[in-house]
Amino acid sequence: MNSMIYKRKSPLLIFLIPAFLFLLVFLYYPFVQNIINTFLKIGGLGRRAEGFNEPWYENYARLFTDPYMRVAFKNTLLLTVCTVVFQVGIALILALLVDTIRVGAQFFRTVYFFPIVISATALGLMFNLIFLYKGGMVNQLLLSLGALETKTMPSGRVVVTWLDWKDQAHFLFTMFLPVMWQYVGFYFVILVTGLNNIPQELYEAADLDGATGWTRTRYITLPMLRNVLITCLILAITGSLKVFDLPWVMFGAGIPENMGWLTGTYMYDQTFNKMNVDYGSTIAVLIVVLGVILSNVSNRVFRRSEDL
Amino acid sequence: MKKLISILLVLAMVFSFVAVTAADDSVTINVVTSYGGDDGNRKNFEAAVKAYEEATGNKVNDGSATSNEDWKAKVLTDFETGSEPDVLFYFTNADAEPFVSAGKVVSIEEIRKEYPEYAANMKDSMMAVAADGKQYSVPSSGYWENMFVNKKVLEDCGVAIPGPDYTWDQFLQDCETIKANGFTPIACSLVEVPHYWFEFMVMNNGTVANHLDVPASVEDEAGQKWVKGLNDIKDLYERGFFPANTLTASDAETVELFNAGDAAFLIDGSWKVGYFTQNAADINDFAIAYVPGKGDRKASEAIGGISMGYFITTKAWNDPAKREAAVKFVEYLTSDEVLSTFVTTEVTALANGAKPAGLNPLQQSAADTNANVTAIAGAVQDLLTAEARGDLFANIQNIVTGKITAEDALAAALALNK
Repeated sequence: MNSMIYKRKSPLLIFLIPAFLFLLVFLYYPFVQNIINTFLKIGGLGRRAEGFNEPWYENYARLFTDPYMRVAFKNTLLLTVCTVVFQVGIALILALLVDTIRVGAQFFRTVYFFPIVISATALGLMFNLIFLYKGGMVNQLLLSLGALETKTMPSGRVVVTWLDWKDQAHFLFTMFLPVMWQYVGFYFVILVTGLNNIPQELYEAADLDGATGWTRTRYITLPMLRNVLITCLILAITGSLKVFDLPWVMFGAGIPENMGWLTGTYMYDQTFNKMNVDYGSTIAVLIVVLGVILSNVSNRVFRRSEDL
Repeated sequence: MKKLISILLVLAMVFSFVAVTAADDSVTINVVTSYGGDDGNRKNFEAAVKAYEEATGNKVNDGSATSNEDWKAKVLTDFETGSEPDVLFYFTNADAEPFVSAGKVVSIEEIRKEYPEYAANMKDSMMAVAADGKQYSVPSSGYWENMFVNKKVLEDCGVAIPGPDYTWDQFLQDCETIKANGFTPIACSLVEVPHYWFEFMVMNNGTVANHLDVPASVEDEAGQKWVKGLNDIKDLYERGFFPANTLTASDAETVELFNAGDAAFLIDGSWKVGYFTQNAADINDFAIAYVPGKGDRKASEAIGGISMGYFITTKAWNDPAKREAAVKFVEYLTSDEVLSTFVTTEVTALANGAKPAGLNPLQQSAADTNANVTAIAGAVQDLLTAEARGDLFANIQNIVTGKITAEDALAAALALNK
């Protein structure tokens, strides 16, 4: 009976077509339309196009001359690097540590995964309070440690020079930290699942050969985890290109002084606030192209090992 | 047995559905206003909505938010994507033109054909007229913009509360004194709400009479006035009179700086009186004074008018179930009794005038200052398109830091003002 189902392929179509149609209408059609929009002049969402740009590739040329786009591109690439190094890196270290303990592993899994279930908006507001200029949690801590300059005025009033965590010197740290923190748990769970799938026999054989600690991790765990790690890296790279919500809640439109743009926030600002829909669409195309290129590059660099 | 249970379950479901349908004949309308967030009239609005719901049995889906450029853009986007609310409380100037000219809101003339008493309690002459010569919105309370002062900070610094003859030179001197005493002279987020200072700096370089002249170019008289105004803001920034984090702080942060007694001056609008009424530790610490005058402008000349009103959307009007509910909602919110709860010192278009009761010291101070105001002009920024205004205000941070000249920033904004 089962074999009959696999021989007759036509019933499968009935289940595949609705999902295909859904994607066609809600993903591929908007995507193609978005590409067309990049060549048109559109002064607001839902507004009729006022003809083609002159020249038609104007928006693409602007991508290379727009200084804020350069800032957004640079910050996004930096975020991608940080994501790979810190998000996946920390997740890997935590996963390896949790894998070695027998008691409390489930507790740590829940604790590390928890930030994922909190909305980015709520996290943004929370980190805004943590890094608040006057009286924020971090600044209060620094004040109590004597790390902030204070000055007593002739009137006896004490003036504190608070640290601006959103200024030019600190904004990258303040912006990236919550993003890193939020998604470490996501990769942690994937990696822990990968670790659980490594056959126990390999470790037992390694024990017999006298391999312990780092040697065991270096020659058994990491090679066996390679494919899962590659998946995590690709997810992290493509995910970092789309980061929007948390930085937008914390930094809005390019704070500080238009140095805080990411491709996602700049695209949103151009489309919704500046009503420059065609240019926003062009940035969206760039994000997709970057995503495809970077995920392909990472695929090639960390080519999947078929023998594992 | 199974069949019997199935039939009983189906019958129970049908009866409960019929019962719910029969009992729930109320109408739900979607309403968007600027009475959201920390708006001083938020509580009054909530009370009015609750009273409307109790009186009519209708329900209100309140999508209100704080008014800023993001909110304005979102409202316009909702109209353009067909997601507009049934009733909208919004700006009546050029900001409303996109949806007015698209026929997405109903004119008062049209509404009065079916509801002759609609907005009958308002002075028709004070209702905003759109570019097509028709009136579309029922005005709520008006507004004024002026200088809030923290009296305690001024007292600690030995600075007198500014009077109607306050001059620019005196202001600069006072700011130096305040700064030397370890306080921030001006509470303002130049990255988020530079527009109050922009209005007064433009007026300071012109007159109240020509305040509403929009430049056609950087070189014309109005253009030069705007450039000088923008450079005055730059001068204040360079003197260190704004908060140290003015280019990264939110409006809420700088207002709190003022509220907490760390800053002396704040230019804001009549809507902020309610905020301090609710949030000030001691309302007696605050007063409404005057923005310093320069050149031909006197400190007693201010910004003000009626800029917002209630619109009924064509979508709601064409929905027989919602038409009546939307009309009744606007009538209720703009009735003499309800509107009087929103008003303390603001002007209204009510034919019989508002009757605010029990003014607190700050409200009384606003009333006293308004009594001394010798002339008033609307906000000139309202005459710019959203794109031009957004671009100009986003560039103020670049002007003050010298990344762009005031002339270039203005030229870029004017290019978008079509």
